[in-house]
Amino acid sequence: MVELKNVSVTYSTGVDALNNVSLKINDGEFAFVVGSSGAGKSTLIKLILKEIDATSGIVMVNDYNLSTLKRKKIPEFRRTIGFVFQDFRLIPSMTVYENIAFVLRVIDAPKKYIRKRVPYVISLVGLQEKSNSYPNQLSGGEQQRVAIARALVNDPQLIIADEPTGNIDPELSYEIVDLLKGINDCGTTILMVTHEHDLVRHFGGRIINIDSGEIVFDEVIGGVNED
Amino acid sequence: MKISGIRYLTKQGFENVWKNRMMAFASFCVLLVSILLVGISILFYININSMIGGVENKNEVIVYLDDNTTNAQILEMQSLLEQMDNVDKVEFYSKDKAFEDMKKSMNEYEELFTSLEGDNPLPDSFRLKIKDITLTSETVTLIEELDHVYSIRAAYDFVNILTEMKKIITLIASAIIIALAIVSMVIISNTTKASVFARRNEISIMKYVGATNAFIRIPFFVEGMITGMAAGAVATIITWIGYDAVVKLLTEEVNILNIIGTGSILPFGDIIIKVALSYIISGAVIGALGSVLSTRKHLNV
Repeated sequence: MVELKNVSVTYSTGVDALNNVSLKINDGEFAFVVGSSGAGKSTLIKLILKEIDATSGIVMVNDYNLSTLKRKKIPEFRRTIGFVFQDFRLIPSMTVYENIAFVLRVIDAPKKYIRKRVPYVISLVGLQEKSNSYPNQLSGGEQQRVAIARALVNDPQLIIADEPTGNIDPELSYEIVDLLKGINDCGTTILMVTHEHDLVRHFGGRIINIDSGEIVFDEVIGGVNED
Repeated sequence: MKISGIRYLTKQGFENVWKNRMMAFASFCVLLVSILLVGISILFYININSMIGGVENKNEVIVYLDDNTTNAQILEMQSLLEQMDNVDKVEFYSKDKAFEDMKKSMNEYEELFTSLEGDNPLPDSFRLKIKDITLTSETVTLIEELDHVYSIRAAYDFVNILTEMKKIITLIASAIIIALAIVSMVIISNTTKASVFARRNEISIMKYVGATNAFIRIPFFVEGMITGMAAGAVATIITWIGYDAVVKLLTEEVNILNIIGTGSILPFGDIIIKVALSYIISGAVIGALGSVLSTRKHLNV
């Protein structure tokens, strides 16, 4: 669950990135965040990850109050979130398997569990054959699927996808969103930032439009393909 | 953190050395040169000191006696000299022995010495070892007041020069060693910074998936330590070879050292364990600290 109450963010340069924003995304929801660049999308994501702090207001994510969360507790908090980046951010020196297993090693999961869990999520994203490949041997779409598997592997309550289709072929974008939808169907909350309106129109669902640091639109619309 | 976690991270550290071998090699070279520079300066200083010490130990005061001094007077003088505070050892060197020794050392003039037999021109003497060489001149003044003293030979001017020289060398050597250590630290920290910077993406990913700072640092720590230890080990070998070569050159080619006494140069066999240990340990500590400190900037994501 993500909840923002009257949140404003002013950068030290004097730029107002978010202006008195209130927002609530419930468990199990799938929400698109849209808006032109510089509108405040990145600030919103950084806020939810506690990369930056709100100048005023309250940010609650997965029952953690980020305004009062101590630095030491940040790793623990981040383990409840999965993150998919636009540029994949896989570790180039690790194989697909290692990139994913790595997340479980970070949280000190038992070896036995890692050996069972990692092949399972790899099969969920359909990359069984590429398990021992390195990221530079994969296509953009495949790399993003690895990233999604990585976000998924420690069973987070919330997955944040920041322009996950930004660096891959348009035809493959639908596949990626389908994958995220499938994960959402299993109960994980998903927040996907995008500027591809075609994609949003195609899938439909909850759309949050940010413009100049304010939420100008927040409604559920029907997708083109939905009946 | 569990043992298995630590084992995994240590293994990661080892693997990182290979995976980032270009950067690891750069750090290795910088560490190697730094350890060599500082290590060799220290060894050089230790040896200069030891040589000066060797010369100091040779220092003795020779007291020549009047020609007509009787045996009883000699014994009395000996006990007086032994009672002096700054006198360590008193050795009587009779005129007969002095004559024999001189004859032996100059055997090409044997005829001259044979003609002098029975009319020995050399005086009896005492050879004194001094405890504190800096007080030599005071001791000499005390001895001069005794009866039957013909003359005194003491190299206290030379001693003073040596003591001054030792002070100056200590000062210069410390300055050079400190300067080299600082320069080395700066270069090392920049090299590890570059190595960490090359992997900042990796670090930021670790932060995003909820890695603790310790988890991120341990592989860097291990990596830096391995690189440092390897540099220390190689530096030991290079120093060993170089040291032996220099000692050989000095003893065989440069005669001037024979005057001071090459015995003062420490054989490498005596110090190899100390050198190896201090090289490897300082390499490990500097390597590990260098890389851990350089990660700090990238941990605040």
